[in-house]
Amino acid sequence: MSENKDFSFKQYAWKQFKKNKAAMVSLYILVFLIFTALSAHFIANDQPLYAKYRGNSYYPAFQTYFNATLTDSTKNPLTGNWEQLQFDITDWKQLELERVIWAPIPYSPEKPDRYNREYVAPTDVQYYKNVKGEIVPAPKKFRHHLGTDAIGRDVAAGLIHGTKVSLLVGILSMGIAATIGIILGALAGFYGDKNLIATRFRYYMTILGVVLGFFYAFIARNTALAESFNDGMGSGILGLLISLVVFFVVVFICNSVGRLNLPGFMSKKVTVPVDSIVSRGIEILNSMPNLLLIITISAIMKERSLVILMVIIGITSWTGIARFTRAEFLKIRELEFLQAAKALGYSDKRTMLKHALPNGLAPVFVSIAFGIASAILVESGLSFLGIGVPDESVTWGSLLSLGRQEFEAWWLVMFPGIAIFITITVYNLIGEGLRDALDPKLKQ
Amino acid sequence: MFKYILKRLTLFIPTLIMISLLAFVISINAPGDPVERLSKSANKEGTASEQSGSTKKIKEEIRARLGLDLPVFYISLSTWSDCDTLYKIADKAQQENLLKLSRQYGNWSAVSNYYHTLLGLLAAYDSLNVDQIYLQHSSFVLNEIKEGDSIRMDTSFAEKFSKNEITDAKNNTSFAILSLLETYNEKAIVSKLDTLENDYKKAPYLAHLNPEFIEVKKAFEHLKTTATPWKTYLPKLIFYGNNQYHRWLFGNAPWFGEAQAGQLKGVLRGDFGISYIDNQPVSDKIWEKFKVSFVFIFLSILFAYIISIPIGIYAAYKKGSKFDRISSIVLFVMYSMPSFFIGTLLLYTFANPDVLVWFPESGFQDPSLYKEDWGIFEKMAHHWPYMVLPLIAYTYGSFAFLSRIMRVGMIDVMGQDFIRTARAKGLNEKTVVLKHAFRNSLLPIITVFANIFPVAIGGSVIIEVIFSLPGMGFETFSAILNYDYPMIVAIFTISGFLTVIGYLVADILYAVVDIRISYH
Repeated sequence: MSENKDFSFKQYAWKQFKKNKAAMVSLYILVFLIFTALSAHFIANDQPLYAKYRGNSYYPAFQTYFNATLTDSTKNPLTGNWEQLQFDITDWKQLELERVIWAPIPYSPEKPDRYNREYVAPTDVQYYKNVKGEIVPAPKKFRHHLGTDAIGRDVAAGLIHGTKVSLLVGILSMGIAATIGIILGALAGFYGDKNLIATRFRYYMTILGVVLGFFYAFIARNTALAESFNDGMGSGILGLLISLVVFFVVVFICNSVGRLNLPGFMSKKVTVPVDSIVSRGIEILNSMPNLLLIITISAIMKERSLVILMVIIGITSWTGIARFTRAEFLKIRELEFLQAAKALGYSDKRTMLKHALPNGLAPVFVSIAFGIASAILVESGLSFLGIGVPDESVTWGSLLSLGRQEFEAWWLVMFPGIAIFITITVYNLIGEGLRDALDPKLKQ
Repeated sequence: MFKYILKRLTLFIPTLIMISLLAFVISINAPGDPVERLSKSANKEGTASEQSGSTKKIKEEIRARLGLDLPVFYISLSTWSDCDTLYKIADKAQQENLLKLSRQYGNWSAVSNYYHTLLGLLAAYDSLNVDQIYLQHSSFVLNEIKEGDSIRMDTSFAEKFSKNEITDAKNNTSFAILSLLETYNEKAIVSKLDTLENDYKKAPYLAHLNPEFIEVKKAFEHLKTTATPWKTYLPKLIFYGNNQYHRWLFGNAPWFGEAQAGQLKGVLRGDFGISYIDNQPVSDKIWEKFKVSFVFIFLSILFAYIISIPIGIYAAYKKGSKFDRISSIVLFVMYSMPSFFIGTLLLYTFANPDVLVWFPESGFQDPSLYKEDWGIFEKMAHHWPYMVLPLIAYTYGSFAFLSRIMRVGMIDVMGQDFIRTARAKGLNEKTVVLKHAFRNSLLPIITVFANIFPVAIGGSVIIEVIFSLPGMGFETFSAILNYDYPMIVAIFTISGFLTVIGYLVADILYAVVDIRISYH
């Protein structure tokens, strides 16, 4: 180590991680999956990437990326009339295009192909209606390479677009879970049961603040919240954010009032048992059957949506991350550099955010990687059952469940199943690689 | 030891309370009005007129039976403007609307006044007699009819408004009033009141109801002018003795002696209310399903342990060998396979007329062959082909997980000093591994029992749906499809309770195996 001066733990861990071939391959696959998810709209789309029609150049797939129902009008050279051309409902395959570049998979996941209904196998004869209106065996470009489902939706397109869902589950669910888990775990580990000391007045004021904050954020704003959710998902989330801001402002105000020095009984110092509270919370949430909890909560939701499902998964699966963070902070708390920070008189906030957190986060990544794998598993399981997921959404799980209805349609089971399997394996392998790279026990 | 178990048991009480609270919150927030659903399923016989007469009474009965005429919880955090007896209003939508109105205007007495004038107007409409109005506004007219030379007097009936017109006007206006009862937006209320006023002008035969309508308008104006919105920003705590949660948990039947009809025993005594689908008690329906699921979960965990322990030990013992490497990869692959994928693949392979038909496709028994009076062995012989595929699907997930943990635990133990000591003593390898290492390597595998159990219960939903097994998981699924919320909540509560017991068992086993741990 002596020959390399700035040989940090980060570099060391990365070096260790790179040695793990399986984890590196998984990392490449993950990058590929992310790329697929981001460009799904251009990989599988029934609108061409570029088309020249009646002398005009269009880029339908790109143009509809921001405005799905984009409409243009063209002049019919035969009749001289202006005709509407709404990009998303136009069947571009029927137009006499002068020049065209199709997406690699020229089908959209939710649009049925009526010439290939009733579970057409990848190897079957597939039909295609050409520009002249004749129904002919599909040319190679327009084949459904992974088959179709009962109403003729392309499986390959569904798989490509399903990548978005699985990636989003990972980001959103684990984002929420990690936020809750890291905050609670860090507080519990850093303060333990004895180190958070406050005057009794401040302690009581904070509890009062939480109650009042809840009141102003959710009870007094009840009607406003309900109305914003009626307006749509976006404004609903905005309303919820406003409520959260109100909550924290009220808690902060009450907490600040608690700084006042009161004489006598109220100024006595008390310890706040942060660790006990958080640990008990983790224990309670852990002793509920997680999947059943998620199913039950999503069953009573008025609206079925993937985002709500992801949020539910997030707020029910933070316990693992919280436990990891807590254990790490318990360890770090006793290390010299934190003692030094304390001796220098840094505030708790500064010590925690600037010194403890950067050093305590490494093991949490391991738990996040495994957490993403299990979140994807839960989401695909629920889409498989069709619980909490809108009927029309195409995900890997919902594709797989379509295969259950038709015993001949093996492609509906194999391809989505393998896609789910690969994604979960990738996250698990990365998690393992991270754990091996970060585990000080194996450090030699 | 006994002391420890006792301490553990007391720690589980808050967990159970939390589970019950969560289940209760879920059941309260379930969409739809349970009274509507139950009254529909209870009221299928009889003619339409009989039904409309008895519906209100039946609804009242159901409300009382479900305890919906009680406040929700022991404590309620509300605003100063709220009414603390709002729960007494029967209609759920009207109740919610009144809450919104009182939050909007901050003056409960004015809101209540407005509500009562509306109800008064509605009652006046309901008591309207269409025939009477029809006759009042019609008249007999004398006509002279010339027939040749003679003039004959004849009376004819001249109606000013047709009967249909009057009935329509009546229905429309009472519908408008009903919708007013569920409107809280000020602009919407104003526009609805305006349309009502226009209807009056068009239909002079409704004019005698004007005073009531003017009352409503007055009450609304009063509501607007006396609004005190600041009241909604003051919190108020209300305590209720008798409430829905209390009744849901403890019931209202006496603890000793016979319960009367319509009395609930409460969740603590195993009464989960009535199913929305067929009005039958949930607890009766759930028991059979529970038995099926429990057999599967128990057997699968048992098999998982039986298979994974030897594999884990052998792989750890031959660490780095071909067997270890191959089994590691296979187990890892299995660990990442979703159970619904495996389940579907099993069905495709072993219960598919095109490939192999070794096992039946779904269900738990053949209704044409199965007899209730069979002995236990006959029953088992009948059931086993139905159980193989689901059991594989059930087992493999926890099996892969357990084997991996067993291997790591065993490797950990094999590196310890006491193993080296045992070897130095000259004990043969078999004794070292099976006697000294084995017992200690069991520790981690026992602690994860507590983690496997809830996973198995949750996973039962997916596997039972794939194989159409009549267990709790399948029941959850169909309950969700049918919006049968009491059933969902009951299954959730029971599973939570079982999970808690699983944790307790794991903790006790842990104490039994590891004598180093002191529990005092």
